Amino acid sequence: MKQIEMLAMILAGGRGSRLLDLTNKVAKPAVSYGGKYRIVDFPLSNCANSGVDVVGVLTQYESVLLNSYVAKGGLWGLDTKDSGVFVLTPREKADSGLDVYRGTADAISQNIDFIDTYNPEYLLVLSGDHIYKMNYDKMLDFHKAQNAAATIAVMPVSIEEASRFGIMITDENDRITEFEEKPAHPRSTLASMGIYIFDWQKLRALLVKDMQDPDSEHDFGKTIIPQLLANGEKLVAFKFEGYWKDVGTIDSLWEANMDLLDNDCELNLDDPYWKIYTEDAVALPAYIGPDADIDRGYITQGTSINGTVKNSVIFTDSKVGNGAKIIDSVLMPNVTVGDGAVVTRALVADGVTISAGAVVGSADSEHITLLAKDV
Amino acid sequence: MAKAFGIITSSVEHKVEGLQDYRPIGGFSFLGRYRVIDFPISNFSNSGIINLQVYISNKPRSLAAHIGTGRHYNINSKRGSIQLLFPTEEKLNPIYNTNIQAIWENMENVSRMPQEYVVIAPSCMVFKQDFDEFLQGHVASGADISVLYHKVHHAKSGYNTCHTLSIVDGMVEGISLNLGDEDERNISMETYVVKKDLLVKLVNEAREISSMYNLVDIFRAKSSELKVRAVEHTGFFAPITSLKSFYDANMELLDPAKAGDLVTPDWPIYTKTNDSCPTQFYDEAEIKNALVANGCEIHGTVLDSVIGRGVEIAEGAVVKGCYVSAYTKIGPNVKLENQVVDKYAEITHENVITASKDCPGYIKYRDKL
Repeated sequence: MKQIEMLAMILAGGRGSRLLDLTNKVAKPAVSYGGKYRIVDFPLSNCANSGVDVVGVLTQYESVLLNSYVAKGGLWGLDTKDSGVFVLTPREKADSGLDVYRGTADAISQNIDFIDTYNPEYLLVLSGDHIYKMNYDKMLDFHKAQNAAATIAVMPVSIEEASRFGIMITDENDRITEFEEKPAHPRSTLASMGIYIFDWQKLRALLVKDMQDPDSEHDFGKTIIPQLLANGEKLVAFKFEGYWKDVGTIDSLWEANMDLLDNDCELNLDDPYWKIYTEDAVALPAYIGPDADIDRGYITQGTSINGTVKNSVIFTDSKVGNGAKIIDSVLMPNVTVGDGAVVTRALVADGVTISAGAVVGSADSEHITLLAKDV
Repeated sequence: MAKAFGIITSSVEHKVEGLQDYRPIGGFSFLGRYRVIDFPISNFSNSGIINLQVYISNKPRSLAAHIGTGRHYNINSKRGSIQLLFPTEEKLNPIYNTNIQAIWENMENVSRMPQEYVVIAPSCMVFKQDFDEFLQGHVASGADISVLYHKVHHAKSGYNTCHTLSIVDGMVEGISLNLGDEDERNISMETYVVKKDLLVKLVNEAREISSMYNLVDIFRAKSSELKVRAVEHTGFFAPITSLKSFYDANMELLDPAKAGDLVTPDWPIYTKTNDSCPTQFYDEAEIKNALVANGCEIHGTVLDSVIGRGVEIAEGAVVKGCYVSAYTKIGPNVKLENQVVDKYAEITHENVITASKDCPGYIKYRDKL
């Protein structure tokens, strides 16, 4: 196998249980987003666009759909001779039984053999459920210039939000001096984005030890990063500016979709030089009927709109009937809204049918209504 | 293995004003996200005929880039193939640019195909047809050639480079150019099944008779000796043989029932993806009765139109009854009515450009107005 400079591992094993019924059947990275994408398209497209062309995807929870999806490496152009997307599920090995991944670090540890076949100098660890565009090659340049053992991508968050994240305290040269996981009283607002570049040999040594430790949580944030700091290794923070979202809840997933309706949305999915690739729908262009009324919509091909769409995102193959009203809502793929139905401040899951005249959601609800069953 | 391979002819005998100056008809944009040739190729692919030869006579760039390896047509990448075949001889006069000549120049490629039959379809006609069914019917019939035709009711006002068939008891008795003298005509869809060996023989014979012969001419010349069976096609049929027919076909498909009949989940029409994001409709936009491809930014008004990928329509602009090709920019307060706008055109000055539905206007590729 040809030695490569940097290999990426995408952690995609989580359920995302706060997404409720949306992740009953699919893992969070496979959840649909932005009209035509799945969340995992973002790290995969970022890898492809950054020239990181060997990517392992670590899956575990409800992974049938996710595994078959990411195995189509050609969707992201990762199907040349020296590139590939590899689905890595927990497996039984000659010297150990079948173990589930016990944590984010353990998922990497259990695939050391895979990583070793490429013998990379650097390992890029990503999360499969974040929405953002980032050039990992620039982050690698920074990592090399700093001569660090590990580089962690960070972004500034508000002080109120800071207690939800892993928070970095850095010196004036971006060197991380302390790390606090979800601190009650944050002393910094630099949040970890869950994007790491490691010197592979240093990380490998640590992982081998961590695997043997029965008390370890086998987690990057809780175990590996503190361990590297304790060992006196140089850890640096790579400051990211731009759009980044961890869509953990129905409200935040809805909001991330709504962001796309903004003229100046920082995510800009229309950049011809940093496209986000996904499975192409074999479908007609969007059909807008003679009685349709569209007032701010983000609408993709395969849809058919015969009613009113106001401030909403309509995914592939969804149909809006005559006189139906879709207001401040997200219709995921293959949703059918019957004539005269009204959908307000709701997120409607894949394949749901809303019968004629039904009313879903309300304008003054505290939270976004998730509709995952036919009504 | 399918009993037949496919040939897609270059449709050089048809001339479309404007659009064809930049690419062959098969390479025309269609319904906002397709190209005309996606229809015959998808028909073949969906029919399980997966060894295809696509003849390209001139201006090959756009078609070659679009078809590429053919992976996006859902053709098995090991057992299937899409071969692009180009002219090998310099043509001193366009009269020599015939589909017989194109096949003859690539005769080795035809002769060595292992399949017994060949299904021939034109690159310039939009319709849905199960070619396997067409092939099976032909084999069972014992005819020498089968040809698809469509009954039309307004042949006086169109189809002027098409041929008509006179049919008696399901067999073709005569083939002639549509002279526009009758409205009710059987229009040849230039789609045939024939044994490969017979095709090779007929191509050789045609060259003995005239260097200007197309396939239709040799079939006509031999129609008394050969059993030529006519098979009626029903459903949507649009030969793209003039700017008007291109425009009308797209406008007709704004009817969701017709578009839904042509492109169905069990008969997908494949095309090359461009990975463009969904289309953004802004607050001021007003859209009625339109097909809109991905990647557009719509601020203005769009009525009764087909909008290709990545089109920008500014505030105050009104686009009515138009076919707007990909990456066109339409500036503030521009009014367009019944126009076919070619790719990358930029209409930024406050123009009012109108034409009648019967004679749509054409705005040139990359033009700035």
